[in-house]
Amino acid sequence: MSVAGSSRRFALAGAATLAVLWLVPFYYAVSTICKSTAQYLSGTPLSLPPSLSSLPGNIEAAWAQTQMGQGMLNSLGYGVLGAGGAVLAAASAAYALARIVFPARTTWFMVIFAGTVFPFQIYLIPLFQGYARFGLLNTRLGLLMAYMAICVPFPTLVLRNHMGQIPRDLDEAARMDGCSHFRIFRSIILPNSTGPLIALFLLQFTWIWNDLIFSMVLTTETAQRSVMNALMVFQGNYAGTTPNLVITASVLASLPTVAVFLLLRRYFMQGLSLSVHA
Amino acid sequence: MSGIPALPALPPRGAAARRPVRLTAEERAVRRRDYFSAILFMAPALLLVSIFLLAPVVYNILISFTGWSHFKGFNRFVGLANYRHAINNPDFSAAASNTVVWVIASLVLPVLIGLGLAVLLRGLKGEEFLKTIFFLPRLVAPTAIGAIWYYVYADNGVVNTILKQVGAGRFAESWLYQASTATPAMIIAYVWQTTGLVMVLLLLGLAALPRDPIEAATVEGASRWQIFRHIVLPMLMPTVLVVTTISIIAGFTTFDLVWVMGRDYPNPSSLTLAIHQYWESFRSGHWAYGAAIAVLLGGIALIVTLLQVILQQRVESRIR
Repeated sequence: MSVAGSSRRFALAGAATLAVLWLVPFYYAVSTICKSTAQYLSGTPLSLPPSLSSLPGNIEAAWAQTQMGQGMLNSLGYGVLGAGGAVLAAASAAYALARIVFPARTTWFMVIFAGTVFPFQIYLIPLFQGYARFGLLNTRLGLLMAYMAICVPFPTLVLRNHMGQIPRDLDEAARMDGCSHFRIFRSIILPNSTGPLIALFLLQFTWIWNDLIFSMVLTTETAQRSVMNALMVFQGNYAGTTPNLVITASVLASLPTVAVFLLLRRYFMQGLSLSVHA
Repeated sequence: MSGIPALPALPPRGAAARRPVRLTAEERAVRRRDYFSAILFMAPALLLVSIFLLAPVVYNILISFTGWSHFKGFNRFVGLANYRHAINNPDFSAAASNTVVWVIASLVLPVLIGLGLAVLLRGLKGEEFLKTIFFLPRLVAPTAIGAIWYYVYADNGVVNTILKQVGAGRFAESWLYQASTATPAMIIAYVWQTTGLVMVLLLLGLAALPRDPIEAATVEGASRWQIFRHIVLPMLMPTVLVVTTISIIAGFTTFDLVWVMGRDYPNPSSLTLAIHQYWESFRSGHWAYGAAIAVLLGGIALIVTLLQVILQQRVESRIR
């Protein structure tokens, strides 16, 4: 056997071993959600569940105790409206920056892009203080606006690059015919950007769904808090939480984004490649 | 997705912008209209960013120089007192040293393992399948991962059970409650979560490399390692740098995973600056001090980004 062949085999074996290790936490989570509290406490954590009969009860209990329905509904709203609004605002700004000639374009762009330079920690206190003053604390609108603003700068960068590459003769002809910028944006540029638009929407939606800190700082009540906030409160509550229920709640809270990824994998990968090549 | 630092060049301005003046009244009107339209198109983004992001940054910096006592407001200017308070605060020192560990670990581990996996998996028979396995943890929310890994590390959790089963029971440990193991244990969970993303980003970079130099070297009999070391790695360096920067900044500002796994803050063994900042501001009411920590975190992020930009230019000038 050639040297290259044996090193290839060695590589495959190494990768496969690591992959098995990588799956252990998943195996642990999936087996745990199938165990009742008594079954979990009496066996070892990696033992197989005797049957699937405890799963429905776990889901029911975790769902109810976490108030997951409310959290998911809230997060769905934050994610869809926040990511949607942000990507639209970004697309509109990117159109101006890539397609209209006007003074100080770089400076205008930098103003918007500056929003990606800082760690989130720097926004927390001012947002909390400002929201407290203007009555936005513990409101869905307040949290939504914060999410939307955070999701604007990065898509603006990506869409500006993308829109800059759409051939110019398309809209020059339209301008000759007297089309307004809005018409050109709506009927030429946006339809030519659907791929990146979907990819960016998915990335931002996932980020909003998974965020914890903004929801923790800006909402403290059950009615407005996000699904991750609900999960955090549930797992941090020492009394009455057992590993099987906490892990069931964790899996439930994660399922929507995992499902979206598996369904729309192609767009996700496109979104990721946008983020390195941007 | 914040912290994507690479700035590409603007598309070239239209020739009209550079033509010597002398415009007809009509042309001037078109330009004014264009400027007005541009502002209108940018208005939603500008409003969102300036009200909810930029104004808060300015406000945060300002209050970091004011008095920090509870309920008194921020009107008293105290200079650098909040920053001095940080230096003398043992919680801050603990948080800062743990954060240094986070920075180094998130610089080295995900990038090294991710690069190894990317090179290993590329072109392998089961590439897609293995890629999905390594990427899977990335899809799970950090909060959920923290909740699951909390029990992985529990006294009768996964790690200790495995240790006992392989006859190494004496190494069993309260991983998250032992000062020397709490931060490394959390970093392992973090590495498990993020390495897949780093790997995928590097694979995208690898796929974009030109094939010719690699094929030429293969024809001339270079070994796989030589090709990797002298051809692939230098060409991949710009991507490695971007990925490293994202990885570092995400690493030291990580909140959710650490918050959920640490549970009883302000326990110093796993305290990080991000947690310290939240705790001091929102649990202890030391707003101005918390603002100062946020400024420090912003400063570190800025330095990392600048370093990346400088290194990027060096690397690119070496490639050409």
